[in-house]
Amino acid sequence: MSFFKKFKTSAIGPKTDSDIIFSLSSAYAILETKLGLEITGKCALSIKDTSGMYFSELKEDIQQFLDISKPDFELSHSMRVDKYGYLWIVLEGSYMDDILTGIAAMSDTIAEKGFSNQLLITAFEFLSTKSNNKQYLIYNYKLSRFYPFVPSDNKTRRIEDELKIMAAVADELPFERDMTLWYPIWELPF
Amino acid sequence: MSSSGIHSWQRRDSGLTVRIILCFAILIVLYLIFLSVLAYLGLGLLPLTILASAMILAQWYFSDKIVLWSSRAKVVSREQFPILHDLIERIVARNGLTKPKVAVVNTNLPNAFATGKGRKNSVVAVTTGLLDILDTEELEGVLAHELSHIKNRDVLVLSLASLFSTVAWYLMQFGFYGGLYGGGFGGRDRNNGGSMIIVLAVAILTWVISFLIIRAISRYREFAADRGSAQMTGKPVKLANALMKIDGSMHRIPTKDLRQVEGLNAFFIVPALSGSTIGNLFSTHPPLERRVEKLLAMEASMS
Repeated sequence: MSFFKKFKTSAIGPKTDSDIIFSLSSAYAILETKLGLEITGKCALSIKDTSGMYFSELKEDIQQFLDISKPDFELSHSMRVDKYGYLWIVLEGSYMDDILTGIAAMSDTIAEKGFSNQLLITAFEFLSTKSNNKQYLIYNYKLSRFYPFVPSDNKTRRIEDELKIMAAVADELPFERDMTLWYPIWELPF
Repeated sequence: MSSSGIHSWQRRDSGLTVRIILCFAILIVLYLIFLSVLAYLGLGLLPLTILASAMILAQWYFSDKIVLWSSRAKVVSREQFPILHDLIERIVARNGLTKPKVAVVNTNLPNAFATGKGRKNSVVAVTTGLLDILDTEELEGVLAHELSHIKNRDVLVLSLASLFSTVAWYLMQFGFYGGLYGGGFGGRDRNNGGSMIIVLAVAILTWVISFLIIRAISRYREFAADRGSAQMTGKPVKLANALMKIDGSMHRIPTKDLRQVEGLNAFFIVPALSGSTIGNLFSTHPPLERRVEKLLAMEASMS
């Protein structure tokens, strides 16, 4: 039985990025009830910008997708390129499900075009109702896991807040427990 | 049997831990030599057992003095360290414990330990390095951990565990001698060489096994003290934070931007920082990762 089960799951293949991203649809509520973290409705996906025809095609596709899906998902979006040469697609919406659907669909589109190796992270923004600071859950595409990021002044981190996030949702999400891999992304484009 | 009475924090051996362990090791070696000489001189089983027990009791009785002396910890008054005394009094009052003596070791290495015979006359010691790096709530977590050791009578538990291992050692030695004399082998001289080797081998085995068992008990008591601290303060995440600061792990959480790291292609060369199994067997403290994980799980269930 277990052998066939194993066979079956391996035939389907490993979880895709969009599957993992959707696991946030139930986990985000835990952050609110346990830690008082509310979604701001903002999230941002970053992808390494490579000059080339295919990449500009991809950008057009994403733009098109976002324009078409606008009436369905109530998402607004913007794009910008940072100083490291990463393209950021910032989505904003009122509902977590809309945001996740948008991010998942974009991740899939990018993977279909063969750019999955260029995908860096998606950052989901939360606002702490207790300390009134911004806190983030980062989904790292190479690790296929989430980790917390709570920036403070002068490029320092609030590690205690990050540990609290880990305590709250590490069992609910594919979570990176190795803290040496929690690389920060300073100056997120929000 | 070596480190009874000491619950030091650091996984790596700091000078403090080394000094204390060395002191106890020298005492134990002296005491084993002394008893072996007496046994060799033909002292009977009963007097020797009584003597051994008396010596272990004395070691236990003076353990706090030995620990304080060898760690160069000084008992400090409320006037000298008011905040430290306040914090301990607060935890003690909230949890119905007896206030221990408070000692400070003047060293930069962050560390803390508890020692003492019973709940009534114990000492909690912290280093000045610990006071420097921890904030008040983190310090509270560490102090509550040490107070849990006292509350759980861990010094006594470990002393008893050591007592059993020592007694086992002697019983076994006597068992062999007794067996030799009682068995009516022809001449003592003929069998002496071989049997001595067996006695020595079994003695070493007994000691190694009891050593490992004591280490295992000690690791378990650490988890128990973490849990106790979490219950006393209600803030396990603060203790987790303190543990990571003491261990130096705070620096392991990167501050370098992911995009820079990606550019250097260094992303997947990061080594896994988990201890080896052999290392775990011998250590008195469980791996930091496990402790932090357990504390965070407690935090999750509390909030």
